[in-house]
Amino acid sequence: MAQFLQQMVNGLSIGSVYALMAVGYSLVYSVMNFSNFAHGGVIMFGAYFGFFGITLLKLPFPAAFVLAFVGTAILAVLIERIAYKPLRERKAPFLYFIISAMGASIFLENIIIATIGPTFRTYPDVFGRSSIALGPVAVGRLDLIMFAVSAVCLTGLVLFVEKTRMGRAIQASAYNMKAAALMGVNTDRVVMIVFAIGGMLAGIAGVFFGMKYTVYPQIGNITTKSFVAAVFGGLGSLPGAVLGSILLGIIETLVAGYLSSQFRDLIAFVILIGVLVFRPTGIMGKTTEDKA
Amino acid sequence: MLNVENLHVSYGGIRALKGVSLRVDAGEIVTIIGANGAGKSTLLNAVTGFLKPAAGTISFKGKPLSRRPDLIVRDGICHVPEGRLVFANLSVENNLAMGAYLRNDKKAVAGDLEKVFALFPRLKERCKQSAGTLSGGEQQMLAMGRALMTDGELVLMDEPSLGLAPLLVQTVFEIIGEIHKLGKTILLVEQNAFRALSVADRAYVLEQGRIVKEGKASDVAADPAVRDAYLGAESKAGG
Ligand SMILES: Nc1ncnc2c1ncn2[C@@H]1O[C@H](COP(=O)(O)OP(=O)(O)O)[C@@H](O)[C@H]1O
Ligand SMILES: [Mg+2]
Repeated sequence: MAQFLQQMVNGLSIGSVYALMAVGYSLVYSVMNFSNFAHGGVIMFGAYFGFFGITLLKLPFPAAFVLAFVGTAILAVLIERIAYKPLRERKAPFLYFIISAMGASIFLENIIIATIGPTFRTYPDVFGRSSIALGPVAVGRLDLIMFAVSAVCLTGLVLFVEKTRMGRAIQASAYNMKAAALMGVNTDRVVMIVFAIGGMLAGIAGVFFGMKYTVYPQIGNITTKSFVAAVFGGLGSLPGAVLGSILLGIIETLVAGYLSSQFRDLIAFVILIGVLVFRPTGIMGKTTEDKA
Repeated sequence: MLNVENLHVSYGGIRALKGVSLRVDAGEIVTIIGANGAGKSTLLNAVTGFLKPAAGTISFKGKPLSRRPDLIVRDGICHVPEGRLVFANLSVENNLAMGAYLRNDKKAVAGDLEKVFALFPRLKERCKQSAGTLSGGEQQMLAMGRALMTDGELVLMDEPSLGLAPLLVQTVFEIIGEIHKLGKTILLVEQNAFRALSVADRAYVLEQGRIVKEGKASDVAADPAVRDAYLGAESKAGG
């Protein structure tokens, strides 16, 4: 039982970071109707920003953390301006967006390989390795911080989207850009804000993944999991993305704990295919009529 | 109030508007009638900044119109689009709140919300309901209410009666009269020529991207060519 609880806690912690990636992914999808494959590159940059903030600039962790997510928010907005905005203005078919996103993703990965090199780098031990006992469960400091920060970010995002005027404009634009513009919404600005939020959360996730594992140019491939989580929960739905991510995190740690860590990713994709076969819109997804 | 001069709009190679000129004066109801594909929606979308004219000018209250949809709303033009486009993912209440997106005058917004609810009691009853669950007629009312919440002086309406049952069509035209009484200037685009002409002060007939006739609505309605082409059986039934 204790071991099961322990796995659940670990799963919750990693799942909450998947959620940070998945909501950014989902938010962009809901407004732009395409999967932003450059999201992984942004996460990777976040991991590097945080790493070099601590090691090279000798910043204290909180400052490096802020540097990372501000940096990735700007990066995500730049990608949108350069790679997608010209397509938006030409009303290009969505396939072009996907190709442009893949191009951006390859560019980001290779610029790191070309300048910094392909080596794996390990974050310095910021929080210490000792764990905190919560009843029968021992929680690593990093896991606890990851969970707490993610929970705060996700709550903040939900409040922003549900309670603010701009949040409502994002929801309206997600449903129909033209109708939102008819209400006086500057939809170009909505797109920018959505990318900034997605980029910020990606940067935070990048730092955490870098700390939990290592930093390397392909770390962004981890977004495949947030993609699985977002589709699993229902692409375009924020609560769906969070739920899908947490479930994925828990399933993964349970599989790794009770079966074998080699099956971990295999299971993730079996779930994705299963969901797509039986419920193409995901757990909480919009119907296909809503989101043509 | 609105002046359109020699407007040309194309979709790639297709010329949808070929030199359209018209004007709408403050306080009027002006209607543009025309068959499906005549270019009515194209005209409205050009006025609200969604289409870039190839040539021609559009001015509003004596000044050239802004060229971005959100700024045009700020200028005071609101548009009830073809197909309604209500936010199906938002509640009725939040749809109306979206209409007031640009407004900070809380008191005036609350006052306008009361007016909208007085005009459409159904919307008040369904305040918390998701707009996607409304019937077609209710969605049309929501689209109109939402446009009124922008507080624009000029209201563009694109075929508000399209796809509605005859009884509701009647209601929609009564509501257009009510909206006019609230002090709004209205540019109404319709295929339902008979009803549109009976509510309007002046009318334009649009055919294949050109204005072929204009004048007082009653004169246009009496024109034999118009009766043949657009009024048909309906005019006989309606007298
Ligand atoms: N998005 C578009 N792309 C290409 N052609 C279009 C588009 N929208 C409308 N058209 C064409 O422009 C003409 C006018 O269309 P429209 O303004 O929608 O007419 P109406 O609203 O009077 O029915 C039609 O010939 C239509 O086929
Ligand atoms: Mg039309």
